Amino acid sequence: MAGQGAENAPGGGDTGESAAADTFPKLLVENARTRGDRPAMREKDYGIWQAWTWAQAQDWVRAFACGLAELGFGKGDTLAIVGDNRPQLYWSMVSAQVLGGTPVPMYQDSVAEEMQYVLEHAGARFAIVEDQEQVDKLLEIKERCPTLETLIYKDPRGLRHYGQPFLHSIDAVIEKGRAFDQANPGFFEKAVAEGKGPDLAIMLYTSGTTGRPKGVMLSFDNLIITARNTVEQDGLVETDEMLAYLPMAWVGDNIFSLAQSYVAGFCVSCPESSETVLTDMREVGPTYFFAPPRIFENILTTVMIRMEDAGAIKRAMFHFFMDVARRSGSRILDAKPVPFMDRLFYALGRVLVYGPLLNVLGFSRVRLAYTAGEAIGPDIFDFYRSLGMNVKQLYGSTEASVFITTQPDGQVKPDTVGTPTKGVEVRIAESGEVQFRSPGVFMAYYKNEETTRETKTEDGWVLTGDAGFFSDDGHLKIIDRAKDVGKLNHGTLFAPKYLENKLKFFPYIREAVTFGHQRDYVAAILCIDLEAVGNWAERQNLAYSGYTDLSGQPQVYELARECVEKVNADLASDPHLAGSQIRRFLMLHKELDADDGELTRTRKVRRPFVAEKYGDLIEALYSDQDSIVVEAKVTFEDGRTGNISADLKISDAKTFGEDAAPALKQAS
Amino acid sequence: MAANGLIPQKKEGGVLLKAEDISLSFGGVKALSNVSFEVHEHQVLAIIGPNGAGKSSMLNCINGFYHPQEGRITYKGVTRKQMKPHDAAAQGIARTFQNIALFKGMNTLDNIMTGRNLKMKRNFLLQALYLGPALKEELEHREFVENIIDFLEIEHIRKTPVGKLPYGLQKRVELGRALAAEPDMLLLDEPMAGMNLEEKQDMCRYILDVNDEFGTTIVLIEHDMGVVMDISDHVVVLDYGRKIADGPPEEVRTNQDVIDAYLGVSHD
Repeated sequence: MAGQGAENAPGGGDTGESAAADTFPKLLVENARTRGDRPAMREKDYGIWQAWTWAQAQDWVRAFACGLAELGFGKGDTLAIVGDNRPQLYWSMVSAQVLGGTPVPMYQDSVAEEMQYVLEHAGARFAIVEDQEQVDKLLEIKERCPTLETLIYKDPRGLRHYGQPFLHSIDAVIEKGRAFDQANPGFFEKAVAEGKGPDLAIMLYTSGTTGRPKGVMLSFDNLIITARNTVEQDGLVETDEMLAYLPMAWVGDNIFSLAQSYVAGFCVSCPESSETVLTDMREVGPTYFFAPPRIFENILTTVMIRMEDAGAIKRAMFHFFMDVARRSGSRILDAKPVPFMDRLFYALGRVLVYGPLLNVLGFSRVRLAYTAGEAIGPDIFDFYRSLGMNVKQLYGSTEASVFITTQPDGQVKPDTVGTPTKGVEVRIAESGEVQFRSPGVFMAYYKNEETTRETKTEDGWVLTGDAGFFSDDGHLKIIDRAKDVGKLNHGTLFAPKYLENKLKFFPYIREAVTFGHQRDYVAAILCIDLEAVGNWAERQNLAYSGYTDLSGQPQVYELARECVEKVNADLASDPHLAGSQIRRFLMLHKELDADDGELTRTRKVRRPFVAEKYGDLIEALYSDQDSIVVEAKVTFEDGRTGNISADLKISDAKTFGEDAAPALKQAS
Repeated sequence: MAANGLIPQKKEGGVLLKAEDISLSFGGVKALSNVSFEVHEHQVLAIIGPNGAGKSSMLNCINGFYHPQEGRITYKGVTRKQMKPHDAAAQGIARTFQNIALFKGMNTLDNIMTGRNLKMKRNFLLQALYLGPALKEELEHREFVENIIDFLEIEHIRKTPVGKLPYGLQKRVELGRALAAEPDMLLLDEPMAGMNLEEKQDMCRYILDVNDEFGTTIVLIEHDMGVVMDISDHVVVLDYGRKIADGPPEEVRTNQDVIDAYLGVSHD
């Protein structure tokens, strides 16, 4: 199969020669020609990493595209994709693009109702799914979803007796495709050549914190020009390694695992299952890595918990060298001056602690890592950078094909998101809203002209809805969603996300929701992190029976109060925000969950929903009650619902500075 | 699956195992008396009954651990004489146990590899040295075991010592080890005991998939009536060592003797 020229393309990252390739199918053909023997994708299956070269990938796409054509898929059709990150699913997207169709990857953990909405809205006639579970889900939806005609599945297990004529296995489609290809020579080449850069490449449904998901239409030019710019900016080459483990429905995965890989020619590996990601990462050793802050945080929490259980010598060594790293690690990474002794200790620490630690986490070879989506805690950020891992923040959105701003090497700070990425213009509107214009700006929202007009101006500027400003050194700083920024009754600025992030930077607090707009003071609802607090409770010899019990314990309240008061002390030092210190808080009896509609699928808090659902609690926070009884409906993973009831205490927190006086008045 | 009306039309084969007039007693205790039934190829057969009805004893007779004083067991057309459990294993009968019987200190992969033991042809010395033919053989077995790991979706615990695993997963590993022997007939002794609803659903799916994909005949003991009625093709009911009913689930469900046995009626 891999019969292409044996010589590898010399020196990676040279994108000049393929400047003409303006669609993914063309890039694939190009890659199969110039680097046909290099690995394009890998997947761990049966315990072994299986690799496919670019030539093999092209071969697969050729057959599958022809198979789709045989089944009647053509220009303007939509192919829905549901499943884990699998090479075949990525290739099926490109196959649809070959035929002028549009792939719509979907979140596979969505409940049937959400899926049905997207399928209907996108008018998907074809769907490709991973296994029986997804087939069953779509069969259930299909009755209510008349547009859906054909289902293709990857894993035949358990499906042998499903006799529906519209159900095909990938292998069967490939077989049909090979026959079709034989009978229609030149079909594939012609189809590939017909695609043009400005054509619609993909539709991504954004979960959105309000309302129905919107279908963001991105063209080949959007994705490929953005990818070219960033590949050049970050010096990505064909020998880089990437692990594709984030949902395929998310724009980031399409840029990192598809667009940038096709442009730079690097290999993308798919983990064996979602539970084995950390092991697989260690085996692959990615050089280019993306993770949302939550994942970095989880890894750090695990490391810290395990260090607590380590022997005394190891623990002492770890803490000593982590102190050294905190002092000078980031400075060494940024090539800034560092005292000689620290440099010496750091070198020793690299051998004894940092190196082995990075190795265990699978980060040894990481040359460049990005994080985005939420603010990252300064402690977490510094931890990784001080180990010598080049983690940087970026600010992006689906509407921008990810990149708006990125942090340049050597100018990385935890509280900004960097300078505009190559090819992107950013401006701050008078209202304080961040706006941008770039080659990556989306075409439109599918079947939603009104929202498109509200979001995108005539001359191509996109209104992000985020409030932010440029700091003196030209770095963008994001405070919050513009519409969420409010005012307290005494006139102080209230930026809920800013406060919540500060709270969530404590490992014990997993979620926080603050209230204060048009109120006298700020109040918060907090959710504990069961793992971190559970471990803490164990060390305190505190017995508990479950989440609700643990989060209601007085000692846990005390623990949370310390966190809240630290945030207050921090806020007191900022004249603009000193008035928004948190006076009262309570610990919620359950975790906020996407299944209950409290979070989006990307785990952002749906503020209006939470405010409505927990209206009683919020009123109690602004009354002089010191406890409240709640009953809440919870949705289990299998779709059943149940009730949890609890008696929630409400606790006061100390405030600092000028704000302390009105606080007392309020309480009396 | 049932929701879609997709329950497969199964082709049951001929008689795979035939038990005739089995009686087994331990001293004065009669564990089984004159029990007869047939297991057809490709069938899922459930043996049910109240505690102490003789279900596990029956299973132990089938796999050669107990030797009934009376009666005959005919397996694949051959009526057996005295036999040992390892003979049963060599003939393609594998089983799992009511109390998990795994090697706690070994990882999942190694535990399942032990199930391949009877299939390994190379001698002990070559295996120890891990040379030539033994190496090649080991790789073939590893491939087979990886198929099972994939099938049971336990990739993430491949290298975890089984003693550290939760109960439901240990049960799944044990099923994996039994499958590694490529059995024609699989005996499952309470495969779902102590599991929560989700784990039970998973286990049902694996059992049906094994039956369907590999064509393995399954004999299982189970207390959860919902499970039994859902997944089995044929049910044998024992009470005080006697067979009181034998038939398809719908039929057994309405049998008065069975209802009495479960609700408790005084035995004169």
